[in-house]
Amino acid sequence: MSVTSVPPVPLSRRVLPLVMLSPAVLVTLAIVFLPMVQALWMSLHDYVLFRPKNFDFVGLKNFIAVWQDPVFWTSLRHTVIWIAITVPAQMLLGLATALLLNQNFPWRGLARALVIIPWALPSVVIALMWVWIYDSNFGVLNELMLRFNMISAAIPWLANPDTALYAIILTLTWQGFPFFAVMILAGLQSIPQSYYEAASIDGASQFRQFWHITLPGLSGVLMTATLLRVIWVANSIDVIYVMTGGGPGYSTYTLPLYALVKARTGLDYGYGSALAVSFTILLLGFVILYLRRAGRNIA
Amino acid sequence: MTFATKKTTPRRMTLAAAMLAGTALAGAVQAAEVNFWYHFDNADNPMSALVEKFEAENPGITINAENVPWNSYYDQLYTSIVAGTGPDAALVKLNAQPRLIEMGALAPLDDWLAEWDGKAEVQDNLFTLTAAADGAQYYLPVQYVILYLYYRTDMFAELGLTPPATCDEFREAAKALTRDTDGDGQTDVYGFGFRGGKGGHDHWASLTVSRDGAGFGPGELTSEAGVAGTQFVLDLFQKDKVFPPSAPNDGFKEIIGAFQGGQTAMTIHHIGSSAGMVEALGDKVAATPVPECGGGHWTSFGDESTAVFSDAQDKEAAWKWISFLSSPGNNAEFNKATGQLPVTKSDSASWDGHDKVFVDATVASLPYAQLLPNTSETADFANTVWPVAMQRALIGEITAAEMNAEIDALYND
Repeated sequence: MSVTSVPPVPLSRRVLPLVMLSPAVLVTLAIVFLPMVQALWMSLHDYVLFRPKNFDFVGLKNFIAVWQDPVFWTSLRHTVIWIAITVPAQMLLGLATALLLNQNFPWRGLARALVIIPWALPSVVIALMWVWIYDSNFGVLNELMLRFNMISAAIPWLANPDTALYAIILTLTWQGFPFFAVMILAGLQSIPQSYYEAASIDGASQFRQFWHITLPGLSGVLMTATLLRVIWVANSIDVIYVMTGGGPGYSTYTLPLYALVKARTGLDYGYGSALAVSFTILLLGFVILYLRRAGRNIA
Repeated sequence: MTFATKKTTPRRMTLAAAMLAGTALAGAVQAAEVNFWYHFDNADNPMSALVEKFEAENPGITINAENVPWNSYYDQLYTSIVAGTGPDAALVKLNAQPRLIEMGALAPLDDWLAEWDGKAEVQDNLFTLTAAADGAQYYLPVQYVILYLYYRTDMFAELGLTPPATCDEFREAAKALTRDTDGDGQTDVYGFGFRGGKGGHDHWASLTVSRDGAGFGPGELTSEAGVAGTQFVLDLFQKDKVFPPSAPNDGFKEIIGAFQGGQTAMTIHHIGSSAGMVEALGDKVAATPVPECGGGHWTSFGDESTAVFSDAQDKEAAWKWISFLSSPGNNAEFNKATGQLPVTKSDSASWDGHDKVFVDATVASLPYAQLLPNTSETADFANTVWPVAMQRALIGEITAAEMNAEIDALYND
């Protein structure tokens, strides 16, 4: 038995990757980690912006207040509903769209380009557009539903606490589904055609082919895209802010929005930071669980 | 040719340093910049004409005037001041003054005012109204408005109604005006466009705080009169259904748009929107003071001043700019852009920027126009506490008494 000795890697080769990575790492540290540490530090203080000279350390007081704050629990419930409906709805719609766009039909290239439009539009534009769609006086949604006798009176979709959150969820679903569609379309094209041909020869139905070839083939893409969307949707406040500002009352408050209102409008940066840190910990816990579970399933 | 090497003496060095400093100072004076923040609803505002005129009259001073969106104006102002990136001077409202003073952000104007010729030109009571609690003057008035009731003359005439003078008349008129005009079974005109979103506290206060015994003092809002006022507003929405269903979320754009579009027959705003109203509705729109409710009258005095910030890079230049805006002639130009009313006596005397009916309604409202309490809590009241409490009350999550208790607790606990 012979032992082959591996030649030592020169120092320059070992250091080079670190040197190449360092600008990106430094920038990330400066614009992501530093503000995170600052937020954590502020959350342990009483810090109201219009009293900038008072910066008293209060330990976990803000976190205890968060725990006892009914608006925190309302916002948390809305955040869970917000993520639990929006992300699966975007995924299903994206999956259906990708399957359609993967078929051969005339103008397929144009259809693929058009489907990306909602994703490419700025959130503020989308929010304003949907505010008009939902408008109780001039909105096209009420107009159509009244014409088809689906409702007997115009519904103030965004001013009714029972419908406001779901109306915004529909808006965000529309905005985000192209992301899933594009990702899934790329995944579909990476599944070898020979799998389908073999399954077809064995007599597998279309549904069986989808269930046993397409879905397993897409699992990696779906896992990554879902994780990204959960994080993005959870943190998304621009559409809510423009459409309702969190109202009526607390009907459309989510945790990031509540943190923003407390810090930026209420100028209570100590409490706002405690809300943001609490939410980050909750989201981080979910992401870790998800990665473990999804990673195991894929393996 | 020989050059004698001169020995550098301390005196020469001092002289050279002084010359350098002098040159630098001269450069600084020449390059004085004033970053000025303001907010105009009017998209094609002619601020640049005023800036050009000022710069021509004051060579060496450059004005960087930035129109900051109203919705986030104060959020941005406070955070930028703390971050050290705030403006040198800005348009400011009185309810922001206590916070700005607490932050140490404002420069007192008293010394400049004492020497300023234009002081006597500013209407007498405005300096009293805008004086700070510590006795100093930090604000220089630049425009004002008073809220009144807009109504549709054609709809009132059609139904034989007269402009409401009391809350009872207001309610009856609103009920009569709420109707289905095209026979499709749907209400398409509502009696009153209520602003349930941010900024709507003026509507609520006119119908609530006006009542005898109601106000912002301890226990006044939780008194019988205070609760009756808020209940009156809730009944208009929940029982009489005279507000559009979107009222809980409606802001400035919505109430003005609905009134101009004929979806509402009355709303409360000020002379600043009158030009747009006349453009949209011609002589079908008029104005009258807000109704008297529960034995009293209350309407909002909408102040707007300018201030110099304590961190301004050149306070003298900033003062020159803001005093320019409050001087006769310039103040009229400024107010033609904002659609509000000038603060100088001569501009007021020759003012022709608005139709007479709106000026008359403003003047008639002057005797009972009020400001919100001049305390730090008012910013919270206007930005967060009132909008959320009002929306929750309108959608039935809390009662009128609970809503008033929240506001009372903010001011008095």
